[in-house]
Amino acid sequence: MRTIIPAAILLIALLAVPPFLGLGWQNALVNLLIASLFALAFNLLSGQAGLLSFGHAAYFGVGAFATLHLMIAVEDGLPFPTPLLPLAGAGAGLAVGLVAGVFATKRSGVYFALVTLAIAELFHSLAPHLQGWFGGESGISAMRMPWGGFVFGSLLEVYYLTLGWVVLSILVLWAYTRTPFGRLTLALRDNEQRVRFLGYDAHAAKVVVFTISAMFSGVAGALLAISNETANYALFSAHVSAQVVLHTFVGGATIFLGPVIGAVVFTLFAYIVSDLTRSWLFYQGLIFVLVMLYAPIGIGGVIRHHLRHWRSIDWSRLAAPYALAGVGGAMIAGGVVFLTECVAILFGEEYAVAMRDAGDTLPPFEMAGMSWDPLGPASWLPPILLLSIGGLCLHRARDRIKPLWDAIEGGAAKEGTR
Amino acid sequence: MTDAPGNSPYSLRLSGVTKAFGSIPVIQDVDLDIRAGERHAVIGPNGAGKSTLFNLISGLFPLSGGDIRLHGRSIAGLSPHRINRLGLARSFQISNIFHRMSVFENLRIGVLARHGIRFGLFRPVDRMRRINDETDAILARVGLTARAHDLAGDLTYSEQRALEIGMTLTTGADVILLDEPTAGMSREETARAIDLIRTVSEGKTLLMVEHDMSVVFSLCDRVSVLVYGNILATDTPAAISANRAVQEAYLGEEADI
Ligand SMILES: Nc1ncnc2c1ncn2[C@@H]1O[C@H](COP(=O)(O)OP(=O)(O)OP(=O)(O)O)[C@@H](O)[C@H]1O
Ligand SMILES: [Mg+2]
Repeated sequence: MRTIIPAAILLIALLAVPPFLGLGWQNALVNLLIASLFALAFNLLSGQAGLLSFGHAAYFGVGAFATLHLMIAVEDGLPFPTPLLPLAGAGAGLAVGLVAGVFATKRSGVYFALVTLAIAELFHSLAPHLQGWFGGESGISAMRMPWGGFVFGSLLEVYYLTLGWVVLSILVLWAYTRTPFGRLTLALRDNEQRVRFLGYDAHAAKVVVFTISAMFSGVAGALLAISNETANYALFSAHVSAQVVLHTFVGGATIFLGPVIGAVVFTLFAYIVSDLTRSWLFYQGLIFVLVMLYAPIGIGGVIRHHLRHWRSIDWSRLAAPYALAGVGGAMIAGGVVFLTECVAILFGEEYAVAMRDAGDTLPPFEMAGMSWDPLGPASWLPPILLLSIGGLCLHRARDRIKPLWDAIEGGAAKEGTR
Repeated sequence: MTDAPGNSPYSLRLSGVTKAFGSIPVIQDVDLDIRAGERHAVIGPNGAGKSTLFNLISGLFPLSGGDIRLHGRSIAGLSPHRINRLGLARSFQISNIFHRMSVFENLRIGVLARHGIRFGLFRPVDRMRRINDETDAILARVGLTARAHDLAGDLTYSEQRALEIGMTLTTGADVILLDEPTAGMSREETARAIDLIRTVSEGKTLLMVEHDMSVVFSLCDRVSVLVYGNILATDTPAAISANRAVQEAYLGEEADI
């Protein structure tokens, strides 16, 4: 009940709200859903089975291309229902994942990661040369065809199609975790050797997990192809593979819905911030590093930790230091953004031109609608103040939060042994 | 002598078993027959090759030479999971469990394997009555019912050893290998472990590595002494402790045994 009610509210919101949103937001939501499914499929392998893949773009991309080929066939008259197009992505992901999985899972750890990376790179380097399959450098395109009274012309229709497939896939992946094989997947991560001495063919099991993960990645790729009506070899790039790793680990690889949290946060972040600054990829990387350093269990892990101890948390005592930490964090973020944007401007092309025009001096620059003198102390005072006061706030907040949490966790430990 | 598979009077027969790591021989031409239903101990000084012998029998390491028969059928070259399915289960010298899963789930993995539900993808495991009942029964046998839902990694040392023994029971194997199941235990814990091993090995064949001679005396029908990869003698515990060569090679130098 505790999970069903919030899930139902979320689903109703996802169904009811989008018609009232602009195209930009609708598009962002489609991308958010696709990224969520991709991260969840990826985490089946990396989080649940403990096999970290650095090349999941391969199965995502293959799913997209297979779907476009099917769409081209539909354009040419093949009677295939448009809502079922993602089956092509699932099939392609499954087939390619099976072959790749047989080889990749022969190794584990770093070597597994390197093999998966190499497989994705293989696709990335071959695709531009394979005109028939991947459309060369420019890629392939196809139109969504009307089916059964639906035109599939509007973004909203695409959104609902995507939502349906993503929700269905998440339910299937959730059910998977409760089957005998789903439990075996966790056992593989925990202690692969022991699994073998209990009569399981560990290699075969890993191939199956790999294949299922690739299959759902293929569905995610298919949804992207349906939404964009085009794809090119860039889908196979290391950037795509890295993105899904980032989403998963920032969200929390040890929690079923953690990857979804990461995907939502970063897709929204990209949608909002990429219009404001060209440094957004840098900020994204910075967030990843900070989460790995200070909350390696991810955002989902932090949330779960709070939910677990919810009853023993005394918010009247914790709220103030949390607010202080929030203020400190915001100030540090402000300082970092200020400095990053200054650096981006000062080392940018436009400023180089301005410098040449101004002779050998450093002319003032524009930022956030104000003019700043690069040599004036007044320009550097704000970030220095933000960083130092913010740091002080965080330090004080931590000193107050830590004993409170020690008490909460200590109490829980005592309860456990009783 | 060739036995028809299935009705061999021996559960395990090792003939000429040899193992070398690189150029270093660790097991040298070992012959060993374990009768069906007996409790057999392997003793020997540290580094004698006892664990290596277990790793060879259970398929973790490939043989350098010789043959091993399980119920009359050669298992040389088979992988661990095939050997397990032919009826051999083992524990490890260092606890080898699923630390981040519950005690119940640690045992259920093996029970599922026994029923051939290895790749079950279409029914929730919590609804499999027979599987869960059987798991509960094994939990009770090894005395871990109260700990069923705790993480295996949170168990005490001796509880983890009991869990290991439970895991060897789950797959329904009738030949059980235990590598130092009582090492590091207090006197009471050891006494309890002996009782547990005695009851769970009832009607099965047991091969165990054991340093403690009092455990060997109270549990085992026969003992083999392994020194530098060679079997020095195989006999009843009483005869072994009276054996001159054994005393010189092994018992003499470790007065506490
Ligand atoms: N994988 C391996 N590679 C190389 N040498 C090994 C390997 N495993 C064991 N050895 C060596 O083989 C010898 C026998 O080791 P083994 O672990 O079988 O001894 P043991 O009789 O079980 O000793 P202990 O009583 O300490 O458990 C040792 O010298 C050890 O260093
Ligand atoms: Mg040993």
